[in-house]
Amino acid sequence: MEAAGSDVILSIKEVSKSFPGVKALEKVSLDVQRGTVHGIVGENGAGKSTLMKILSGVYQKDAGTIVFDGQAVEHTTPHQSMQSGLAIIYQELNLVNTMSVGENVFLGRFKEMKGMRGTHAKARELLDSIGCKVSTYRLVSALSVSEKQMVEIAKALSFQSKLIIMDEPSSSLTAEEMCELVKIINQLRERGISIIYISHKLDEIFDFCDIVTVMRDGHVIDTKAKSEFTRNELITKMVGRAIENEYPPRPQKVGGVLMEVRSINTHKLHDISFKLHKGEILGLVGLVGAGRTEIVRAIFGADRVRGHEVLIDGAQVSVRSPRNAKNAGIGFIPEDRKLQGLVLPFSVESNISMASIDRFTKFGFIRDSLEKGIGERQVKALAVKTPSVKVPVGNLSGGNQQKCIVGRWLEIAPRIFIMDEPTKGIDVGAKYEIYMLMRLIAEDGGAIILISSELPEVLNMSNRVLTVFEGRITGEFNPESTPVNDIMTAALGLSGGCE
Amino acid sequence: MSSYGSRSALAVVGAVLRDYLVLAMIAALAAITAMVEPKFMSAANMVNIMRQFGPLIMVSLGMTFVIIGGFIDLSVAGTINLVAVVTISLIQPMGQVPALVTGLAIGAACGALNSAVILSSGALTQAEALFLTFGMSTVYSAFALLYSHGSTMHFWDIKTSKSIFESIGGGTVGPLSVSFAIFLVVLALLWVFQSKTKEGREICLTGGNKTAAALAGVRIKRAIVVIYTIGGFMAAVGAIVLFSRITTAAPVIGAGYETNAILAVVVGGTTLKGGKGSVLRTVMGVLLVILMSNCLNLLGVSTYLQVAVKGAILVFAIWLDNRKQA
Repeated sequence: MEAAGSDVILSIKEVSKSFPGVKALEKVSLDVQRGTVHGIVGENGAGKSTLMKILSGVYQKDAGTIVFDGQAVEHTTPHQSMQSGLAIIYQELNLVNTMSVGENVFLGRFKEMKGMRGTHAKARELLDSIGCKVSTYRLVSALSVSEKQMVEIAKALSFQSKLIIMDEPSSSLTAEEMCELVKIINQLRERGISIIYISHKLDEIFDFCDIVTVMRDGHVIDTKAKSEFTRNELITKMVGRAIENEYPPRPQKVGGVLMEVRSINTHKLHDISFKLHKGEILGLVGLVGAGRTEIVRAIFGADRVRGHEVLIDGAQVSVRSPRNAKNAGIGFIPEDRKLQGLVLPFSVESNISMASIDRFTKFGFIRDSLEKGIGERQVKALAVKTPSVKVPVGNLSGGNQQKCIVGRWLEIAPRIFIMDEPTKGIDVGAKYEIYMLMRLIAEDGGAIILISSELPEVLNMSNRVLTVFEGRITGEFNPESTPVNDIMTAALGLSGGCE
Repeated sequence: MSSYGSRSALAVVGAVLRDYLVLAMIAALAAITAMVEPKFMSAANMVNIMRQFGPLIMVSLGMTFVIIGGFIDLSVAGTINLVAVVTISLIQPMGQVPALVTGLAIGAACGALNSAVILSSGALTQAEALFLTFGMSTVYSAFALLYSHGSTMHFWDIKTSKSIFESIGGGTVGPLSVSFAIFLVVLALLWVFQSKTKEGREICLTGGNKTAAALAGVRIKRAIVVIYTIGGFMAAVGAIVLFSRITTAAPVIGAGYETNAILAVVVGGTTLKGGKGSVLRTVMGVLLVILMSNCLNLLGVSTYLQVAVKGAILVFAIWLDNRKQA
């Protein structure tokens, strides 16, 4: 399974890229050989996606050189890079749902194909070449994710692509579909096409990649043939230190019931009931779209939900809006920091003070000094890195932005803290600080409901986890004593019922 | 509005210039016109400018709140039509003060109705609000036509006292016209409301990011009701100032005020994206719009071309605003 060719198709030298407040890539160098499958692994925020977006022309690099197929790449657009034989297949797939398979493969090139008949005939040929039997006349909206991926691959082949980048292609495939994809990948390699395969599933990397590059915090840490990596070495290099230190110890003082939720029912959720204890971190585990976010939004009053009951300290509370929830002592960190959490053009101060307007107004009038006090207190308490409380919050890095949202709620000292993807897209160091804060909140007698798509995070932070599958709670586990596979089985809906 | 700290001197000059481009434009416009046409500086023309200023500034101040709140209100033209014909018709049967109060109440009610339509339909984007309020505008205008049977009403037909309206139209307090004095009082109140009160802050947060504001417990529905009610109320004030000055009220009297008000707000530097802006900026915007048409009139530019110039300035202001955000 060694590389078929030895010449280099893509050569990246010392490429750097910064966004305001973030160094996304720092002197990244990488060579991809012709006819190999090159795996790139790294945690969220390691810079994988940024690098790929520079290759495909979505972003422009700040410094460095890229040579693709003997040609220096400067200021390309996605269209140009496609034309030059570099295709990228995004996780969220870029197809027009309302058009047919054939039309999607040759989108915008019907004339070159001599009309629709030629378009469909040529698309059929390409699909056959990768063993895909989907009719070219079917609407893309009717296809499964795996079939859509094949259409994307056919589209890439139609441009005579020499390099195809696949960004986490396996994240929504079943095991069987994955086998199909591996077959296609192997076949493409035999045809001399190079593939960059981005994933954080190590099994896949060890299964069919030839060469592996590890990225972390915008740097390339190492590039070696797969056979020279051990699994542990790969993990250590991805995370940057021994994994034991990645999470603080779980909160120790779990007490009596603080909140009880009884029978949330919506068109997506079915009979959601659970209890939350004082001093506890409760994790919700499930696939994206399983209903985790809907559960917490219902509790927080963010969506219109009727008929359920929320009891805090045994007394029923009526939560019809986030404002009610806030007054009942519930804080909420939404999953999308920029769209749902912050008012980006506003100052750090007014973003922090947003939930406590009543505390800095007297008789309806704003007292500037009180507001400034709130901002400065939280910035200091959470060590937010900002030149002053007056700068727009949009200028801060992701981790510091997230701290501002945490600070907003700490100001009103909620007893129940809902955190939906609290560490999404923030760097490893800031993550640890957020974990420490979570621990502190719990140790102070508060309770946290934690949702995260990063399984290790939920399993290592939570005292207890609930698995959610298709809008139902399918299990309750102690993550310390339960094998991960059991939890995943319940989260994937493979076996119903509580243990 | 923005902090200029920690940037190079050149960048600061550039930023100040962009922020206060309107002021520079006003000064340049006045200077050029004064040179070309000496009549511009005459006392008569100054009074003329002050008078034109009255109705538009009232409507624009209200519009500023709607736009800061992240929405837009095209219904002010219809509101002005309705308030004008109803108020003038009530002076004789009800007396001046009840007519005045009724007029203002109708304006506020029209605004509140807009917000009720928007909230109940869940049309919480600016684009949806644009079409909804456009629809409401035609409804209000139709009521104005039905109520007045399409005819224009005149002051000289009113047999009872109309002294309040006459002094709004042409009276003076000290060196100022009454309408200008009203403007100063209203401006002061609205400025304090916008920048110093809890409601004002909630409006800014709603305009900055509705979703985030709601999830932080900000009362965004209330903010939406408040901005539209202020918008409708100020349109009514504008309507009263307007018909008092021209002493007649036709049911189409408000035509064009919605676009001119939006133009003035945006040119003043309040962003259409919501969240940021100020009633003070709107004063500058209105000044520019009025001065511009005054200058173009004095210079003898055709009305058709004037409309084109206005459109171009609106496009330029939005373009500049978008560049600033990027």
